[in-house]
Amino acid sequence: MNNTQRPIARKSGLVVQEVPDEVLVYDLESNKAHCLNQSAAMIWRSCDGNNSVSEIAKLVESQAGGKVTEDFVWLAIDQLSENNLLEKQISSSFEGTSRREVIKKIGIASVIAIPVIASLVAPQSALAAASCSCNNPGSCGNVPNAGCPNTTNCNGAGLCAP
Amino acid sequence: MKYPLAFDCEIVFESYGVRVKLEATTAELLKDAEQIARKALLNRLRTVESRDVDHTFGFAQDENATIYLFQNGEVVSFDSSRSRFFKFFNSILRIAVAEYAQGSVFIHAGVVGWRGKAIVIPANSFQGKTTLVAELVKNGAEYYSDEYAVLDADGLVHPFPRDLSIRDDNFREIDVPAAELGGKTGVNPIPIGAVLLTEYDAKSEWEPQRLTVGQGIMEMIPHTIPRNFNTEFSLKVLNTAVTDAIILKGSRGDAGAFAIKILSYFDSLLT
Repeated sequence: MNNTQRPIARKSGLVVQEVPDEVLVYDLESNKAHCLNQSAAMIWRSCDGNNSVSEIAKLVESQAGGKVTEDFVWLAIDQLSENNLLEKQISSSFEGTSRREVIKKIGIASVIAIPVIASLVAPQSALAAASCSCNNPGSCGNVPNAGCPNTTNCNGAGLCAP
Repeated sequence: MKYPLAFDCEIVFESYGVRVKLEATTAELLKDAEQIARKALLNRLRTVESRDVDHTFGFAQDENATIYLFQNGEVVSFDSSRSRFFKFFNSILRIAVAEYAQGSVFIHAGVVGWRGKAIVIPANSFQGKTTLVAELVKNGAEYYSDEYAVLDADGLVHPFPRDLSIRDDNFREIDVPAAELGGKTGVNPIPIGAVLLTEYDAKSEWEPQRLTVGQGIMEMIPHTIPRNFNTEFSLKVLNTAVTDAIILKGSRGDAGAFAIKILSYFDSLLT
């Protein structure tokens, strides 16, 4: 495991909103929204390019008031990297071990909530997200319209429906 | 058809801080377009003298009576069915204003008022949003909207009370005023008391999961119309609006029974 890496949190192209006990991040490039729980947010904020993984573990430990292992930090970094929230992608350090197994291992020992990042992609087109309106059958085949009653027919009322 | 070099007539109006120009090759087309615009935006527009606009919609008709719609110089629709053409224009105009509105954040959602608080139901089309709003109104909730929760900078919900657009089994839409359902329409801006993230599933029992503020906002983002145009303001307003709200997610069964259950549930919580 390479714990000498000094990850850097991405700043450009992101809109960050602090909410109670969580941090919301909206990626303007991918239209993805991320919700970081407190643990993940603390680790993300500590990724300043100066702190190594072990130093981040100590920093978070002092803020959270509970034992934080390097595996705990890696669990967050793994998710941050996967969601493009770091300047440079960092490959998973859990060689031969699944994330689920690591969570299980950390979860039993930790008194602090394990770092979790929930993500969701928002449709690019506001029209598609808010309406099944159409002007030709082709426009009903767009992926965002998949929730409409019909994806091939634009009916006489201008709806993607039979 | 190419973008006509000259439109014979035009008007410019402002709605929710967005300036829109309608231009047409004939006075009749312009009149129809203006009428649809007034309906789409609940007549909340005023004509202005301005060359500086956010959106331009052009209307032209060819010799085969096909009507063309141009948005900012690009063809976005053409149709020989006048009603379908203007229905599409109605949708894209409303979205354009909702996306670029100044000082407001439009969420695609049904909204009712109950005990002085708003119950907001964000959902995509065809998820039973209007059906549920109608049932809530029939059971005494105040009608705010079956389409948009319009949030101001303080996170308060303003009414956008267009007639409820109820679909029959053949997907025909019938506009029904809230009064016909025996309901009253809300007038005042109110804070959000609850957010229901739900969709109809005949086999489901209502066993919701309570979401955190962050999780709730994330679920609301896809329904937030200006999320790409005005992301920072949108997130800030969402945060302000739902910080004290109860956010529930889960499938629901029949709208009638669910409406009674949910109003009774919120009776104690929202006072």
